[in-house]
Amino acid sequence: MNGRLLGQRARRLDWPAMMAILLLLAAGVAFIYSAGWRGEDAPSTGFHRRQIGWCAVGLAVFFTAALTDYRRVGAQAYGLYAVGLATLVAVLFLGVKVYGARRWLDFFGQRVQPSEFAKLATILALARYLAAPATDPRSRETLIVAALLAGAPFLLIAAEPDLGSAATLLPVTALMLLAAGVPARTLGAIALGGLALLPLGWLALGDYQRSRILVFLDPGRDPLGAGWNSIQSGIAVGSGGLWGKGWLRGTQNVLGFLPRTVAPTDFIFSVIAEEKGFAGSLALLALYAIVLAGGVRAALRARDPFGRLLAAGLTALLFVHVFVNIAMTIGLAPVTGLPLPLVSYGGSFMAAALLALGWIQSVFVRRRVE
Amino acid sequence: MMDRVQRVRLLVLALALLAAFARLAVKIRNCHLGEHAELRRLANERRTVERPLLVGRGRILDRNGHLLALDAMLYHVCADPARLVETHRAETVGAQLARLLALDPATVVGRISQPNRRYVRVERFVKDDEARRIRELNLEHVWFEPVSTRLYPRGATACHVIGFSNAEGVGGAGIEQRFDAYLRGRPGIRISERDGEKNEMYGRRLLEIAGQEGADIELTLHLDLQEIVETALDEALAATGAVGAWAAIEEVRTGEILAMASRPNYDLSAPRLSLDDRLRNRVIGDVFEPGSTFKSAVIAAALDQGIVRPDDVFDCENGTWIYRGKPLRDYHPYGALTVADIIKKSSNIGAAKIALKMGDERLETALRRFGFGRATGIELPGEESGILRPRSVWTVQSPTRIAMGHEVGVTALQVLNAMCAIANDGFLMRPTIVRRVRDAQGRVLLETGPEVLGRPLSAAGARRMAALLERVTQEGGTGARAAVPGYRVAGKTGTAEKIVNGQYSKTLNVASFVGFLPVEQPAIGLIVVLDEPKGARTGGAAAGPVFRAIAQEAVRILGIYPEDSVRVVDPTQENPPSNPPENES
Repeated sequence: MNGRLLGQRARRLDWPAMMAILLLLAAGVAFIYSAGWRGEDAPSTGFHRRQIGWCAVGLAVFFTAALTDYRRVGAQAYGLYAVGLATLVAVLFLGVKVYGARRWLDFFGQRVQPSEFAKLATILALARYLAAPATDPRSRETLIVAALLAGAPFLLIAAEPDLGSAATLLPVTALMLLAAGVPARTLGAIALGGLALLPLGWLALGDYQRSRILVFLDPGRDPLGAGWNSIQSGIAVGSGGLWGKGWLRGTQNVLGFLPRTVAPTDFIFSVIAEEKGFAGSLALLALYAIVLAGGVRAALRARDPFGRLLAAGLTALLFVHVFVNIAMTIGLAPVTGLPLPLVSYGGSFMAAALLALGWIQSVFVRRRVE
Repeated sequence: MMDRVQRVRLLVLALALLAAFARLAVKIRNCHLGEHAELRRLANERRTVERPLLVGRGRILDRNGHLLALDAMLYHVCADPARLVETHRAETVGAQLARLLALDPATVVGRISQPNRRYVRVERFVKDDEARRIRELNLEHVWFEPVSTRLYPRGATACHVIGFSNAEGVGGAGIEQRFDAYLRGRPGIRISERDGEKNEMYGRRLLEIAGQEGADIELTLHLDLQEIVETALDEALAATGAVGAWAAIEEVRTGEILAMASRPNYDLSAPRLSLDDRLRNRVIGDVFEPGSTFKSAVIAAALDQGIVRPDDVFDCENGTWIYRGKPLRDYHPYGALTVADIIKKSSNIGAAKIALKMGDERLETALRRFGFGRATGIELPGEESGILRPRSVWTVQSPTRIAMGHEVGVTALQVLNAMCAIANDGFLMRPTIVRRVRDAQGRVLLETGPEVLGRPLSAAGARRMAALLERVTQEGGTGARAAVPGYRVAGKTGTAEKIVNGQYSKTLNVASFVGFLPVEQPAIGLIVVLDEPKGARTGGAAAGPVFRAIAQEAVRILGIYPEDSVRVVDPTQENPPSNPPENES
């Protein structure tokens, strides 16, 4: 790749989305700092410093992915998918157990959550399969293969157990099938069948999952236990008001009402909402809208079906994360441990999200020029 | 074709995502701006803690600083059974606790093996040293709750005076009740904020007002005298089989109560029942017909006002006198008696005739000036005022009955106080049992001094009456058994028949003796009352010996010497005055 081409590619990057990504990363670092803040004299948790490190790693991944031709990645789709499944199996046996779930692999002292990458590999494989000229989106065979491709990682992730993370594959797969041209009627029938099976699903849930759903339906049910996080989060968001209490001044957050274990990770949005108010929440939402719109634009303008489906699937995954996380924070959905892309504290998901965004950029950079 | 379908679908999906975002935005707007004020209030409310700063209850001390009541810190030993069961340590922890608390191991293990409970009290009111031994074990899921507890180190002594405070620290009787406001102090208040782990944040304290520790109450009681009186009453109950007994010692010049005891009584450190008859302080709470002790007040007034003179002679009708159709009887029949002998022999008929000679108005006025029919104002709850009906409702026989201590109701403290007025040159003092109240910094909040309620007698009249009352304890007097060897004792016996079913009982009576000593320089007054003594039932026979037993110890402890002995040991006194002439002896 010579310098001139590189320059041309760089110019064709989706710069608004890039700016939004950088702003989101910066907001994440700033509010992770705030979430660890306990006062002038208290020692810092240091989370924000590690987050900066992960941002750097993530951005390197992003640019590498953006400048690599997605079709070259697509050629390795099934191989990457197989590796993804292998790591998911490995984590079940070799994983580090945290709070009763094996979700992490110890990777030279660094904990990695393989499910995040396996999900990307799954999307890659689904896009490759659905975009293949031999695949007829109207055939039953297509549905079955797609279900198998998505089902294997779903079950493996659910077995960790991490049902919330596994469940993100459902809407993502459905969206990809829709985008691929599978008849809406077929998908509708499958969705209805799924709904009918929901009561069975209830039986399969663990106690903590059931209690989260019950608490979602009635937050006052167990205000000091399962309902605590969501109630405190609701108070945090609501007490922010229009302009918020100011950075480092959120009482719910700084004083530890919002549990310190979840404030920088799954509940980072409520920290932002409390300290920056409605204005801050809306700004954050707008940044995500820009990033996701970039994904949609990349899909619409992709030069081939594989690029289109890849961009659509990755955008769907990011959207699900953003939507479910914020909805959970403001009491619109039950509590699930889905992090907020680019903002929540954590290395694996940071890298995975930026990898996804990098691939989207790769599709966009090589878009059809009209 | 497929390409176009896919792109249309993508657009539709993108719109769906946009709609979902819009939904989020609406909900966020509602969260921030809708319930905002309410939620901000909730967030603040969850943070704010308002906590009273508790203060210790004040102490109660006798006049020499002996502790009668004080607060001590004890501990409840608490445990979290659910966690102990979870961690499989209920057995070992239970065994350790049982050993250190000297409890039955099976009971303790049972108590802390309830997997559904998060809180039990293993033992209540554990002393500091025991709690420390448990603390040294560093047991998890076991903790201590400090509780301030009232201690009464003297047990039952002076229980009716001290009273008690309940578990909430509110006085329920005696000084504890009357001086509750002083004893309790004033709790401070702290308004502050707490963090999510419920720890107070010192940097965010908004208000702190220090509490005012409870003040100490210093009584006029003399613990040594009190013990003597208590012991004497117990012995009297055993000796006479009386159902009740009460006594009090008053300092003549000041009205200070040096001892006050009542039977039946109760142990202050033992659990109590409310409405229990044992809780009543009979010295101030029992109204009874005094009988002959009342004659001393009537005759003292008659002498003082010159209505009679000590050597005036009255016909005592040989024991039975019909006055206006109703008979009046003497215990022993007498013929003619001087006023002095009417007192010494305690003739009802003689006293009645003196009262008639006074007339209703002067009689009632004199008795009211002695403080009858009115509470003395001692600093104790539950004082009765007694009964002295106005003369407008008297019958023609009333003066004759009142003269011998019937048709009136008195408390022992009233009788004692009236007797002390005779001892105190005619000055009626307000009996007082609280010397001063001092706060924790030693500042005096309240101080009582001698307070004159009135002057029923002149000094000369009072001295004259004292001399007559001295004869009661001499050979041939009704109170000879109250005499204290070596001392000149003045006093008066009282034997009142109790009213049972509206009739004067022939078998049940209230025997009393009230007096003071030494006559030449009166120091202390003492009353002893026995309720329903068996055997020797008269005041002289039943109460007299108790009076003597208490009085002779009291003078020893207080260092009261007869005037003769004072003169001998005082070398500066060159020309000692001769003994005052004694009348009628």
